Amino acid sequence: MEGKRTITLAPGESLQRVFMLRDPAENTLPFSRLVLGADSNADITVVVMPGVSCDVSLTVDIDGQNAGCTVQGVYICPGSENVRIAVDMNHNVPRCTSRQLFKGLAGGASRVDFYGKIIVAQDAQKTEAYQENHNLLLSDDAKVNTRPQLEIYADDVKCSHGATIGRLNEEEQFYMRSRGISLQDARVLQMISFVSPVFRHIPESAVKGEIVEEVERAIRNNF
Amino acid sequence: MTMDERTEKDILQEIAGQEYEHGFVTDVEQEFIPKGLNEDIIRLISSKKQEPEWLLEFRLDAFRRWQKMKMPAWAHLDIPEIDFQDIIYYAAPKKDSDRPKEIDPELEKTFDKLGIPLNERAALAGVAVDAVFDSVSVTTTFRKALADKGIIFCSFSEAVREHPDLVRKYLASVVPVGDNFYAALNSAVFSDGSFCYIPKGVRCPMELSSYFRINAKGTGQFERTLIVADEGSYVSYMEGCTAPMRDENQLHAAVVEIVVEKDAEVKYSTVQNWYPGDAQGRGGIFNFVTKRGICKGSGSHLSWTQVETGSAITWKYPSTILKGDNSSSEFYSVAVTNNFQQADTGTKMIHVGKNTRSRIISKGISAGHSQNSYRGLVKMLPGADNARNYSQCDSLLIGDRCGAHTFPNIENANRTAVVEHEATTSKISEDQLFYCNQRGIGPEEAVGLIVNGYAREVLSKLPMEFAVEAQKLLQVSLEGSVG
Repeated sequence: MEGKRTITLAPGESLQRVFMLRDPAENTLPFSRLVLGADSNADITVVVMPGVSCDVSLTVDIDGQNAGCTVQGVYICPGSENVRIAVDMNHNVPRCTSRQLFKGLAGGASRVDFYGKIIVAQDAQKTEAYQENHNLLLSDDAKVNTRPQLEIYADDVKCSHGATIGRLNEEEQFYMRSRGISLQDARVLQMISFVSPVFRHIPESAVKGEIVEEVERAIRNNF
Repeated sequence: MTMDERTEKDILQEIAGQEYEHGFVTDVEQEFIPKGLNEDIIRLISSKKQEPEWLLEFRLDAFRRWQKMKMPAWAHLDIPEIDFQDIIYYAAPKKDSDRPKEIDPELEKTFDKLGIPLNERAALAGVAVDAVFDSVSVTTTFRKALADKGIIFCSFSEAVREHPDLVRKYLASVVPVGDNFYAALNSAVFSDGSFCYIPKGVRCPMELSSYFRINAKGTGQFERTLIVADEGSYVSYMEGCTAPMRDENQLHAAVVEIVVEKDAEVKYSTVQNWYPGDAQGRGGIFNFVTKRGICKGSGSHLSWTQVETGSAITWKYPSTILKGDNSSSEFYSVAVTNNFQQADTGTKMIHVGKNTRSRIISKGISAGHSQNSYRGLVKMLPGADNARNYSQCDSLLIGDRCGAHTFPNIENANRTAVVEHEATTSKISEDQLFYCNQRGIGPEEAVGLIVNGYAREVLSKLPMEFAVEAQKLLQVSLEGSVG
């Protein structure tokens, strides 16, 4: 843990950041722990671009009431990337909300490992914690493992997780092809629409436009 | 609301003294072997059961492996130290020398009391029972009727004597000797269990069932069951179990192996009602079992249904290896924990063959100070083309001192395979309770109603004989948890 930073949000503070991992040397986040004070709000997005093998691990401690945390990510792995994502979401106090959404494409000979644990402490009542991890497995040599976990010690909570590992829908492809869209284009459109919900959350801005465009280009050029 | 709370409290107090229904002890003369575990004890068990040399070797090999193994610590369980030298590994009711062929009336009475009549005339039509008391099988009913169809249904010990080739062929073929700590222990010291073989193309005309009863103090029960369904056959098998109320913890470490050949179908149902310990968490059974089936041939089908309400600690993951193409498997589970019970249970679906399908429905209910975990593995191997899995794991929390956890593991290495998993955790909503209360249904009854509705999808999969019992059991297990 040496050299790893903790970011602490004071009560009422808010943080919104997008981390683009483009450079193979940039293989993790600049911090590994996030501590949320009361009424604070954190919104973290991670985008793992092609060619980047990374180890993203993040522990979120929600220590103040009425705090909210959103952690989301996209990973695009067309080659021999090895992507590991591990999120520990600790709801230590009542009345907080967390949302996690990770979506990714695994092609080539890539390997994706997702681990996400939500812990709701005893007495952390009125917690709402959601987590989703969805993957598309696009080649014979790619491999995806996912381990979403819930550890709940309070009863008045709403918690759920969902995880899928699947393939592109052939009926959608047929629909598009019967309207003159090539198979290649249809696949690209499917992949773009698959990852797009992750960006929906980011407020509209020039930066968001650039990010979305960069991701779309990466999908178009690599799959 | 305050009035509601008061009534809830009253009900709680009323039922606080609720007792475990099957907690009695049968007073029969029993034969014990000395406490402890070593090669001599294993030789003694083997000679008591008049086993052939190969089986003794099998046991000794397992024991030597077990000695090198460590108790698994990965489960979300707080298991107290178990002294394996402080357990009696074999206990059997003494045979009456005057009537060696007949069942001891005392034992017959015991099983009667448990609702398992051993007399064929009195028995539930359509259910054949193998009744196991501590380390031995007391009797197996309807054997003749079944034998007419070529079906073998007997105790494991008898199968070793009468059908050694079949036993030898399939024993440890699904759960290898060194599979895990408890499976190795079981392989070394297993006592009795059931053996059943359904020949090619035969549809078993009745439900087969085993009933396990722990009676003796200071003992452990090490059941071993082997079910083989040959090509195109069908069998529905049920398992039930109970134990007396005691302050000590008793160990039940079972191994169940199921082999399903081409186009055969096996339906395996369990209602697990071992003594769960008292309201302060004293006593209860440690239920550490390995259950695994293999869908060996194409088109084979294995379904697991379990209702888990008993045991102080449960460590149990009925699993299926989907080897044959187009084979399928299901896992339906309701696990209820109350007071200080702990359960870590779930399933593994290993997809090897093409077009294999599996479905997991798990409903956890925790109350009191209990901890209830679902743990599962869905694995799609590279050859599992077009394989499909769907898992749904829901947890219901009753009270704010209990825990509900979900630990699925999903691995996919085939691009045509699709895996879906979802899990939710919630409590009984106040709206639902209000709706019931408003219609004159009291809080306790309302909870029972809601829980039964919540578990319906699983309960409906149980054979009729079990479904009624299971519903009652759910209600009893949760009594006193509202408030």
